[in-house]
Amino acid sequence: MKFKFNPDDLKSLVKKSFSSDNINKRRQSMKFFWKNLPEQIRRLSVVAVILFALPLVVRQLLIPTDFGKYGHYRASALDEIVSQEIHYAGRELCNECHDDVVEVKYNGYHKTLTCEVCHGPAFAHTEDDAIELEAPRKRSYCPTCHEYLPSRPSGFPQIISARHNSRKACIKCHDPHDPKPPETPRECKACHAEISYTKAVSKHVDIPCTRCHQTPEEHKIRPREVLPSKPHNREFCGSCHALDAESSEDIPRIDLFEHERRYNCWQCHYPHLPEAN
Amino acid sequence: MEEIIQHLTPLVKEISGYIYPNEIEMHWSLLIVLYPYITGLVAGAFILASLVKVFNVKELQPVYRISLLTALAFMLVAPLPLQAHLGHPEKSFEIFLTPNVTSAMAMFGFVYMWYLMAVLQLEIWFDYRKDLILWARQEKGIRKWIHRFTSFFSNDISEKAIAFDEKAEKIITILGIPSAFLLHGYVGFIFGSVKANPWWSSVLMPIVFLFSAIVSGIALVLLIYMIVTPMRSKQVDMNCLDKLASFLFYAMIVDFSLEILDFIHRIYESEESIHILSELVSGKLFISLVVVQLLIGMIIPLGAIAVTKAFKAPAELKKLIYFTSAILVQVGIFSTRWNVVVGGQLFSKSFRGLTAYKMTFLGLEGLLVAIAILVLPLIILYVLFKLLPPWEEARMKIPVIQENINENN
Repeated sequence: MKFKFNPDDLKSLVKKSFSSDNINKRRQSMKFFWKNLPEQIRRLSVVAVILFALPLVVRQLLIPTDFGKYGHYRASALDEIVSQEIHYAGRELCNECHDDVVEVKYNGYHKTLTCEVCHGPAFAHTEDDAIELEAPRKRSYCPTCHEYLPSRPSGFPQIISARHNSRKACIKCHDPHDPKPPETPRECKACHAEISYTKAVSKHVDIPCTRCHQTPEEHKIRPREVLPSKPHNREFCGSCHALDAESSEDIPRIDLFEHERRYNCWQCHYPHLPEAN
Repeated sequence: MEEIIQHLTPLVKEISGYIYPNEIEMHWSLLIVLYPYITGLVAGAFILASLVKVFNVKELQPVYRISLLTALAFMLVAPLPLQAHLGHPEKSFEIFLTPNVTSAMAMFGFVYMWYLMAVLQLEIWFDYRKDLILWARQEKGIRKWIHRFTSFFSNDISEKAIAFDEKAEKIITILGIPSAFLLHGYVGFIFGSVKANPWWSSVLMPIVFLFSAIVSGIALVLLIYMIVTPMRSKQVDMNCLDKLASFLFYAMIVDFSLEILDFIHRIYESEESIHILSELVSGKLFISLVVVQLLIGMIIPLGAIAVTKAFKAPAELKKLIYFTSAILVQVGIFSTRWNVVVGGQLFSKSFRGLTAYKMTFLGLEGLLVAIAILVLPLIILYVLFKLLPPWEEARMKIPVIQENINENN
């Protein structure tokens, strides 16, 4: 037999369920169920309801209503941030009036620095020309980035400011918008300070950089495009360290055929401080 | 600024090799050493209690309630070192209001609340309920009301109700074992999941933490039992003590094996960090790792208990050896936590140098606060012992008349 849905049946069922007789019966059966629960469960369930309800109320009271609208934060925090006073203008605004300087800078080594790194917050200046920006002219400013620090990357120009033209302001010789060295550096140390200082305390101190690195003149002008070479075979180090090498007797020797033949020497030994390994 | 310079200047002399500038200041200090130590004691004491209820080790019955109360006293203090370590402790409740469910650290509060409310307190409540009712009936004044309130004004002590208590207790203990594993396994997980730190990053970390927790928990309950019993002018139950020492011994064997396995695994793997780690172990951590953790905290107590068991020593000598071994184990496990937390921050991420840790005496993260946090659970435990006496003779027998009344009802 096929089941047929009759709306009248449903109506009578709802009527029957909500009749006062039935509600009373259900109430009584609930009471019966509650009374028949072990006493421990009854008491613990009251405590549990309080313990669950309390955090829910606290959550309602303490969580800001706009929390979670966009993400795991208060939506109104965005408006608060937007309403804060603006201090920085951004590079596009500088470009609108000072496009000549911005273009020079864009082609120089300082292209990744924004103008406001040196000139300070400029928004007020964009609103009112009378407010002038300052440019750091003291010697103490540039070493913030260019003072020698061993953890700075190799090739990053670093100086020891106490020794480097100690009476002159940096901008006397270097144009901060296009900070090329005023003359081509004579020594590798001008840029590769870290390696130079490491090598200075190693046994390789007397070997000039150019003995191992063939360095085209062009490298001094375009250091990142034209790179110096590195020794590419084991025989190069072997010219001093091989068993049959014609070099001073104090130099450590190695049998090039026996010793780790699959590797180039500098893959294991750091040539600027060989005693470190 | 002046203060920071004064704090950092002596540290600079302690540095060896090359470290990054931000590595001179260690962020996780003595308080973070206390945190896994205390949670370990909680988990260990609870696992010991479960031996009685789930695994039916009858000999340990005298320390069942002591271990539950010990777990509770230390559990209440467990979040305090974290609170004191926070820059803004008053904001910490926000982690419960709007938790970040993908952050393991944010989940600690929930793991903690589950263990405290749903496991530990519930088990203690079911175990003490009958006694609370009967104590309250005999007492007057504030004690009566404390006991009535802690029993939630319960008054059913029929046979059926007590049988229900026992059944409930057993179910909670069975649930409690994975929960205790979760609690301390979680602490190990927090360290083990730090990918960037080769001293911590290991899948064995939660398991090593867990077994060292069991070791420290058993040793602590053994110590408390041996100190408290003579103070009450009672005799120590030698059967119970022998059983405790045996379980301590077994847990230490597993813990020792896991630690050695971890050690061998690291050496065999020989990742790029192995040089700096071996420098760390043979230098700055030599005393705390090799001497204190391994020799004093593990090998000597293991040997001492083994010899006592093998040669059937007289009772007094046994007591002396168990007591000394348990103290050494505590020192060793504290040292384990120290070596994990402080050791993991002593080497530079450049793997080229070691920094130093200078503990302060005063201040929120100083030695004084750490001592206070370690003493606090003992004070709580004293109060708990007074309010909920865990001794066997304090267990109340149901009066016959009462039983009849209940039956008639």
